[in-house]
Amino acid sequence: MRDISMILKSVWKSLFLFSAISVIAVSTVSAQDAKEGRTLFKAKCSSCHALDSKLIGPALTGVNDRHPEAFLLKWIPNSQGLVASGDPAAVKLFNENGKIAMTSFPELDEAKVKSILAYIKEGEPKPAAGAPGAVDANTTAKDGVSGLSIVGIVAIVLIAIVILVILGRASKLLERLILQKQGIEIEEDVPLKVGVRKMFKNKKFVMFFILCLIICLGSFGWMGMWNTGVHTGYQPVQPIKFSHELHAGINQIDCQYCHSGAFKSKNASIPSLNVCMNCHKAVQARDKYDGQISPEIKKIYNALGYDPETQKYDESKSKPMEWVRVHNLPDFAYFNHSQHVVVAEDAIRKAKGLQPTEPVCFACHGPVNTMEEIYQYSPLTMKWCINCHKETDISGQKNNAFYAKVIEAHEKIKKGEKITPALLGGLECGKCHY
Amino acid sequence: MESNKKYWKGLEEYNNTPDFVKNNKNEFAEPLPIEDVLNEAGLSTVTPRRDFLKALGFGLGAVTLAACQSTPLKKSIPYLVKPEEVTPGIPNYYTSSFNGQSILVKTREGRPIKIEPNPNAGQFNCGTDARAQASVLDLYDVSKLKAPVLKTKETTWSEVDGFVKSELAKAQASGKKIRIVASTVNSPSTNAVIAGFITKYPATKLVQYDAVSYTGIIQANQNSFGKAVLPKYNFDKADLIVSFGADFLGTWISGEEFTSQYTANRNYKSLENKKMSRHIQFESGMSLTGTNADTRVPIKLSEQGPALIALYNAITGGALPGGTLGNNTTADKVIKLVAKELLQTKGKSLVVCGSNDVSTQILVNAINASIGSYGTTIDLDNPCYLYGGNDAEFNGLVAEMSRGEVGAVLFLNSNPAYDSIDSKKFGDALAKVPTKISFSDRSDETASLCDVVAINHNYLESWGDANAYEGYYSIVQPTINPVFNSRQAEESLLVWADAPVKDYYQFVRNNWETKMLPALGIKWDEVLDKGVVSVTAKPAGAYSFSLSLAAVATSIVNSSKALAKDVELQVYENVPMRDGKSANNAFLQELPDPVSKVTWDNYVAIAPKYAEKLNIKEFDVVTVKGSNGYSVDLPVLVQPGQAQGTVSIALGYGRTKVGKAGNDVGKNAFPFVSFVNGTMQYATTVTLTPTGGHYELAQTQTHHSFEGRNVIREATFKEYLKNPAAGTGKGEEGHKNYDLWDQYEKPGNNWVMAIDLNACTGCGSCIVACNVENNIPVVGRDEVRRRREMHWIRIDRYYSYETKDGDVTREKEIAKLEDLDHVSVVHQPMLCQHCDHAPCETVCPVLATVHSSDGLNHMAYNRCVGTRYCANNCPYKVRRFNWFNYWNDSRFDNYLNNEFTQLVLNPDVTTRSRGVMEKCSMCIQRIQGGKLQAKIEKRPLKDGDIKMACQEACSANAIIFGDSNDPNSEVSKALRSERIYYVLEEINVKPGIGYMTKIRNTDTTVQA
Repeated sequence: MRDISMILKSVWKSLFLFSAISVIAVSTVSAQDAKEGRTLFKAKCSSCHALDSKLIGPALTGVNDRHPEAFLLKWIPNSQGLVASGDPAAVKLFNENGKIAMTSFPELDEAKVKSILAYIKEGEPKPAAGAPGAVDANTTAKDGVSGLSIVGIVAIVLIAIVILVILGRASKLLERLILQKQGIEIEEDVPLKVGVRKMFKNKKFVMFFILCLIICLGSFGWMGMWNTGVHTGYQPVQPIKFSHELHAGINQIDCQYCHSGAFKSKNASIPSLNVCMNCHKAVQARDKYDGQISPEIKKIYNALGYDPETQKYDESKSKPMEWVRVHNLPDFAYFNHSQHVVVAEDAIRKAKGLQPTEPVCFACHGPVNTMEEIYQYSPLTMKWCINCHKETDISGQKNNAFYAKVIEAHEKIKKGEKITPALLGGLECGKCHY
Repeated sequence: MESNKKYWKGLEEYNNTPDFVKNNKNEFAEPLPIEDVLNEAGLSTVTPRRDFLKALGFGLGAVTLAACQSTPLKKSIPYLVKPEEVTPGIPNYYTSSFNGQSILVKTREGRPIKIEPNPNAGQFNCGTDARAQASVLDLYDVSKLKAPVLKTKETTWSEVDGFVKSELAKAQASGKKIRIVASTVNSPSTNAVIAGFITKYPATKLVQYDAVSYTGIIQANQNSFGKAVLPKYNFDKADLIVSFGADFLGTWISGEEFTSQYTANRNYKSLENKKMSRHIQFESGMSLTGTNADTRVPIKLSEQGPALIALYNAITGGALPGGTLGNNTTADKVIKLVAKELLQTKGKSLVVCGSNDVSTQILVNAINASIGSYGTTIDLDNPCYLYGGNDAEFNGLVAEMSRGEVGAVLFLNSNPAYDSIDSKKFGDALAKVPTKISFSDRSDETASLCDVVAINHNYLESWGDANAYEGYYSIVQPTINPVFNSRQAEESLLVWADAPVKDYYQFVRNNWETKMLPALGIKWDEVLDKGVVSVTAKPAGAYSFSLSLAAVATSIVNSSKALAKDVELQVYENVPMRDGKSANNAFLQELPDPVSKVTWDNYVAIAPKYAEKLNIKEFDVVTVKGSNGYSVDLPVLVQPGQAQGTVSIALGYGRTKVGKAGNDVGKNAFPFVSFVNGTMQYATTVTLTPTGGHYELAQTQTHHSFEGRNVIREATFKEYLKNPAAGTGKGEEGHKNYDLWDQYEKPGNNWVMAIDLNACTGCGSCIVACNVENNIPVVGRDEVRRRREMHWIRIDRYYSYETKDGDVTREKEIAKLEDLDHVSVVHQPMLCQHCDHAPCETVCPVLATVHSSDGLNHMAYNRCVGTRYCANNCPYKVRRFNWFNYWNDSRFDNYLNNEFTQLVLNPDVTTRSRGVMEKCSMCIQRIQGGKLQAKIEKRPLKDGDIKMACQEACSANAIIFGDSNDPNSEVSKALRSERIYYVLEEINVKPGIGYMTKIRNTDTTVQA
């Protein structure tokens, strides 16, 4: 089910993306300068400046009018030099902005600075009429992915069948009426009722029918019961539409950067919002929202009571961020992340066939770097845990002095059996339930 | 293998009463109505078809409706800004101190959940007592006030400050006195704060008083040696300890410290060096210390003075008058022997006395001086500052107040309306004080009479320090932000005194950095890290006693005569409740008294023969009327070993305004205390009148019986010296063993335990430590009566006495009822033995309890269906059944059934639900945690990496845990001791816990 909706989703996405890109490509043939300037701006300036808002440095829209171009050409490559030389305008500017020294950019020659200024003057290229969809495709809620579309399709098919049947009956009736009017006697059909009754008197058929029924119900029941409480694919709506695809996939942020607990503790831990602010103090995705701060990033600011204009925190306005827990183990099952991702990393990598580039987390959490919104990838049932404990080869742990001693003691292992966690007592109740 | 000694836990077991026999046959005391259900309405009645259909329809509908509910969303709420030092899932430890004792506080995600002893504390690192272990629960007490109170209304701090400042100024201006009433203040910073307060309001004086006072010793030392101090006692340097009514292993001065000193000369290491101290106890009520004595002699309270005089005369050859013990011939005989022994062990012996009478203590000083204790076993130069209260000063204060001379009074950590000797007189006097301020955290007996309750922090929220001994300082640091709108008392005093530094943290730090640290050359951060600072101790000087004892002897004889009337009453602190300050702590209320095993009540303890003489039976309610007219109705407990003609009542009960759990538990015995010769006296005379009522005490002593099987092995020190395996039953021909079970190898680790019965004093701090560590519910008095206490570790207390004439029948023993005065006692910690051939595992129909490859008996709660077969089949009776959902049942509201108190839970241990079995898991969360730590650090597990909660708390180091596959581990060494035996080893369940025989140092050369 998931696969179909995922495919649908990606088809939609690529369609929108394609159209958006083509539209943009058409509309931006001109202003080569500004385009180059935009690239340079993003690379060199955007960590401290935005066009319309104050970050570390002042907002830059209108800077061309505020200062003569000659001044800017000197200021941007080497502002500190200019201040040191005692240029009154430079000193004034330096003092006005809290005496925060601006990085020097000796690599920016005059042409490059001019391009940047051109970009600032023109501003962010407005997306063409059709394009906003491209943005929306990434941000609109995907609340209903959980099989709703499939149910819809099934319902439509069913309705169609019903309509077809009704239409068929009606046309048959009409046909018969016409034939009657024409005086042609038609052979009366054997009524359906009688036919069915006749069929049910055939013992072989009845036997077959009942057998089928039992098998069907039985297997449905079995599957249903087996998967009761299994939440594979659970994907609740989160208070912030946080995209792992963007952060872990496109931006290649290491899992540990946010989930630092996983490598030290039993809890992987959801990052506190100050971790988000390490980047999002500057990264505001304004380019996608008409120069406004992304509404999702704004949620971080609101929760922290942070005012992006004054860059001040107001603790009285802060309120906790209530994420919805995706991976829910029952309270009586003890699971420790560090045991698995630190101690058993190599064994798990080998068992799950992970690429060296992929984090070990993928073994259980799946391809997080492709998840627009996080969902539960593994069933997290006891059977699932145990299977892995039975099958994973941990002979590589011999290098760990702790295991070296334990493994040495095992008679069975000396006989050359495969070393699994199960062999070292990893299936015993008390190892996870206490 | 079997000795002639009989061991029994309670008189009902001893006498084999019908009730006991009946109850003992069943695993669970109350019969379940299964038979009734099956016989009556169950199978014979007919359910009409319509009823059946109705039920079916309703059931189907209900289930459908219930199933309609969507899966509940679980929220996951991270920190907004995570403190750098916090990693969710990993505990942080902070040093702090509790009553002067340095501790480590374990916190998880910013909430303290466990108290552990501080290994940095050097010689003062001696486990923790039950009170310290339980104290973490006080932080999460719902009965505390949530904001300061002004004239019975909750208010803000600025209102309080405004009011108090103007009132204090008024009191100061009017020339009236201002008094701060506090229990002993030994914190240098608090003293500095008070000094600053006195500078601002010069009419102020600090009055220190302790609910249970040591003024007698302090004044006696002043009199004898010119040093008004409580000395430091060195029980570890004493080969012979003679105690007259001092419960030094339990409640006297510093129980856990003395326990660790005392057991250092008696534990298995000491015994292997063929060394063991000898301990003789003279006392009236059976105390924890008395139960551990090698020889215990019951004496009446009125005989204590004469006994000391007799001892003095016997040692020095003096002839003080009054040293006659009347008809207590045993005591008379023993005193003479003890005198000889004391002279033999000069300089290596110690005499202590629990009396608070100055004269008596002067005499004790004289005895100690004559046996050369000063400079060796008693150290007057590094005194103890744990108690410094002055009884006379407090009495003077009450007089001042009633004369209307006091303008304002402040109560710091004191509650005289409950624990002063005459609370009515105190209340009347207090009413004449215009401004009354309490720093209590709740509206207790005193605070409810005050105008202002300036609620103080819990100690886990506070900054501070303590100076328990000369040159030994410990720090108090907060481990959680204040939960309620409370403010530290010291900070309140700083604010009211308009001190320049009002932040108490800054004040403490300044105080240390200016006064103490420069001389020591250490930094403040190091102090916080270590938790303690020790200055090199001064050499203990020898002191000689040169005063005349004539007046002292007269005074002793006179008070003894005044007391020698029927019935002599001793009021005492018991180990769980102490002075009653933590009466609202459910863990302590449910901790069985180490001797009587009574929970949730105090009682009148009376000797069996004396009870018979007075025609009083156990659990009869009697009216106890004191000579001062105060009377209470209390149930009777028949206590073997209680001196004839005496009764004992524990203090600390009968609180009325302490909170949900502690209100109206037992009766207040403080009014029986009298003020004689300038000090509080804890002995008086009373009359007993049966009311005809009956009240069943919730006593755990016979709840888990071994059916008279021989589980205690003991030997005398003499026998031990001849044969270290004496008494263990080793070397005797046993029966042939057959195994029902296969042998399994334990290649990795094999977790086992050794328990030294000679070190265990039975104090019970392990029980509380286990409760806190493993989220063990408190069940309350009624459920304890039904034998449903949930403690995973219990301490079985067995009485016995030597019978000389071979096999004795029960009838003959009962005939010699007076022998019950001279019982000897053994304490045996009993917990899941993690048997290799566990009988519980065989009978579990769902395999909820199974064995692990590292020697543990696992219990999977979520698999258990509650058949309770395992509990029935357990020979050690260590399995506990959850009869209720104790965490979520309004019937248990007083204890832990609220969200706030539940913050004390250990997040690494599941809370069990109704209908499942539980038992000691050998702190498996600690084992797994220790292993993981080693795995992450890529090193083999070291011995001592993993410690059990009970082991850590034990002051006596009686519990040794470790891996028996490691031949060099401490536990392997201990298990190789010849003294090791296994409880019920004859049934071949192969328990994982070895016990070391109890050794008594009874027969010495002197006696021969």
